[in-house]
Amino acid sequence: MAAPQIPNLNSLRRGRGRGRGIGRSTDNGPESRPSGKDRIVQGTDNDASVSRLSAVDLGYLTDAYATALTPRGSATRRFPIINRGTYVRTTAIDQLVTSFLGLYTPEQTQAKRKQIISLGAGSDTRVFRILSSRQPSDLVYHEIDFAVNTTSKIQAIRSTPQLQQALGINTPDAEVSISEMGDALHSPSYHIHPVDLRSLSVNSDRDLSTILPGVERELPTLLVSECCLIYLTPSEAEQVVKFFTEHLFQSESQPTIPLGLVLYEPIRPDDAFGRTMVSNLATRGIQLQTLHKYASLEAQRCRLKEQGFGDGQAGADIEFIWKNWVYEEEKERVAGLEMLDEMEEWQLLARHYCIAWGWRDGSDASVFQGWTTLKAQSDN
Amino acid sequence: MSDLDRAIEQLRACRLIPESQVRELCYKARELLIEEGNVVSVDAPVTICGDIHGQFHDLMELFRVGGDVPDTNYLFMGDFVDRGFYSLESFLLLLCLKVRYPDRMTLIRGNHESRQITTVYGFYDECIRKYGSANVWRYCCEVFDYLALGAIVLGASSELEPTTSSANDTTQSTMPIDDTELETEVLNSRGEVTMSTYRPRQRSSSDASTDSRNISPPRDISAAPGQLGAPTRSGAPGTGAGGDSNGSAPGSRTGAVLCVHGGLSPLIDSVDKIRLIDRKQEVPHEGAMCDLLWSDPDEIEGWGLSPRGAGFLFGGDIVKQFNHLNGLSLVARAHQLVMEGYKEMFDGGIVTVWSAPNYCYRCGNVAAILELGEDTSSGGTVARSNGEYGRSNGVMGADSLSTVVSPGRRYRVFEAAAQDTRGMPAKKPVADYFL
Repeated sequence: MAAPQIPNLNSLRRGRGRGRGIGRSTDNGPESRPSGKDRIVQGTDNDASVSRLSAVDLGYLTDAYATALTPRGSATRRFPIINRGTYVRTTAIDQLVTSFLGLYTPEQTQAKRKQIISLGAGSDTRVFRILSSRQPSDLVYHEIDFAVNTTSKIQAIRSTPQLQQALGINTPDAEVSISEMGDALHSPSYHIHPVDLRSLSVNSDRDLSTILPGVERELPTLLVSECCLIYLTPSEAEQVVKFFTEHLFQSESQPTIPLGLVLYEPIRPDDAFGRTMVSNLATRGIQLQTLHKYASLEAQRCRLKEQGFGDGQAGADIEFIWKNWVYEEEKERVAGLEMLDEMEEWQLLARHYCIAWGWRDGSDASVFQGWTTLKAQSDN
Repeated sequence: MSDLDRAIEQLRACRLIPESQVRELCYKARELLIEEGNVVSVDAPVTICGDIHGQFHDLMELFRVGGDVPDTNYLFMGDFVDRGFYSLESFLLLLCLKVRYPDRMTLIRGNHESRQITTVYGFYDECIRKYGSANVWRYCCEVFDYLALGAIVLGASSELEPTTSSANDTTQSTMPIDDTELETEVLNSRGEVTMSTYRPRQRSSSDASTDSRNISPPRDISAAPGQLGAPTRSGAPGTGAGGDSNGSAPGSRTGAVLCVHGGLSPLIDSVDKIRLIDRKQEVPHEGAMCDLLWSDPDEIEGWGLSPRGAGFLFGGDIVKQFNHLNGLSLVARAHQLVMEGYKEMFDGGIVTVWSAPNYCYRCGNVAAILELGEDTSSGGTVARSNGEYGRSNGVMGADSLSTVVSPGRRYRVFEAAAQDTRGMPAKKPVADYFL
């Protein structure tokens, strides 16, 4: 049965149930009692995982972990337009991430280790895909999300040997620890943090090692926000970014380390499609709070520049990326998977989502070298 | 009250009819449609509608804006089903009206009236969900196979009767000057004129034609008043060779209007060729029948590959030549979302009409229907040439390309129905976004 026809009440209900059932320790701050709005935002993760599984099942994406991380029974075939969007979004971010990590060679040394911090990661599968294809020792991957979401992810990992294997924690002697609450996981190359992003503040006097244990402050780092920061207020979103640029990865005792940010979020709220999007999401209780502030590619570039990524800022909408990043042969393959009957609708939808990326070179300008060669969109 | 009238009443209330009744309805509809040619002849006045896509409440709004059946003579250019949440209610209602008022309701096939497409885009799932089996989907698909591929509208007037409803102060219509006729008019859903264009009334003398009937593109409606400029279109619409060469149709100087869902095909150079297609089948993946349902006009020359993977792109030169060879003044088609509801291209040689407002409950577009008036200048008689007049023997001078006058065109633009206020079940549709 096609999902789009049916209001996905289940995802909301599920979020609510979990939120209530789990007693939270108090030391994680505001997220211990999720407000109604937070629950809805938490529920959006289900949307994303269902879309991903749909794209995987139809052959758009190869992702061995999509099934394990989608709630059982919620698999649904999405419309072709959504599948193509999921494909472009995923492969484009993959490309940025791969470029940051550099080509994997078995001889790679400890010195080239890098770090990824995924904000609001939810049930994202990227970490499994990356770690299963590389030497785990050259990467530290962090995911930060509401405890509700991290708990269900950790449950999935616990019950799925395939996921443990991807993380390299399937052996009896694996160094892995899971918190008593089941909401935090720590292993040499993968950490799950049950943290409300809003509690990350420059002014925090808390010991960094307790907020985000395992984060290595001297590693070149990539921050990823896939439809995450947009749910925060503009000042909260800025605070979160500043926490990383000015607090965590800035210290007087050592040279500035390379730091990048990849954003994926809606843009252009002020035309007919954008207005409808805002009002449709509002009826679901979803408010994209920074959408109007960062309403264009230009605004996204300014944001990146102003918020600590001074060495490069670029962006492109999903339509541009489909046209310019995807090889012709691959485009043909993808177009052949399903008949996409509405080109106009595709363009409308795809022009309202963008990927923006910015970086600071710090002590090593080679880290984000690859990003300079990606084709960016120059207009608004 | 007959069963059919009861079914109509029920469907109008957005309530489904029993499966046995659907079966009977589809049987009757097939009997009716099998008698129709591939290209149905329709006499003006007629109201031409584009894609509906299961947006039932918006279809009701369309009837409110365009007039009810049978008072208004309707021609729907396909894509009744898929995407929206009420494909069944929408299609079955249209089918009931077709069976009840066969002469006031013309339905032609869209690319979504197909087994393959409906299994991907929602209609199949809707049938399973609402009837518990694929039976109703199967009955409907059998009807799809019998739908006509196109229609020819005859006897449309070149001049519109001005709308009498008083225009408010935002109206941008300019006063007609002497010796002009009203060519196009755009009305909002309250029936207020928001734009009109005039052209010189045809004279008996043969002033040379530099015919430029390109009306202002729809987006100009929202532009500053005054931008529309001169109320008259420069250039006279030619000498009306279509009428001249067709002595049997005195007064009817307006060329016929071809209506198809998608567009033209490189395999089809005359309306007659459409009539030769064996249409009673699933929409093929290629060939003339596929093209008619899938192609799109584009700002290119000649033919191009379609990004849709079926059908072709065709340029203004193709339209101009096709219209000329077939004595057509206009191709009306649907198939493409246009944010303003309608879009004329190629000097008014082709128009896209889109009748699904806020398409997929997501796109934020308005919808439109196109009204063609009846030419009463010849006392109501209609040239019965089925789009064949004006056909030359292949020899064609460059200046004779625009030989027929386009019909007067009244676009009624409307927005999505406010569901909860109209006594309809207010199940709020949820559109998909990336979150």
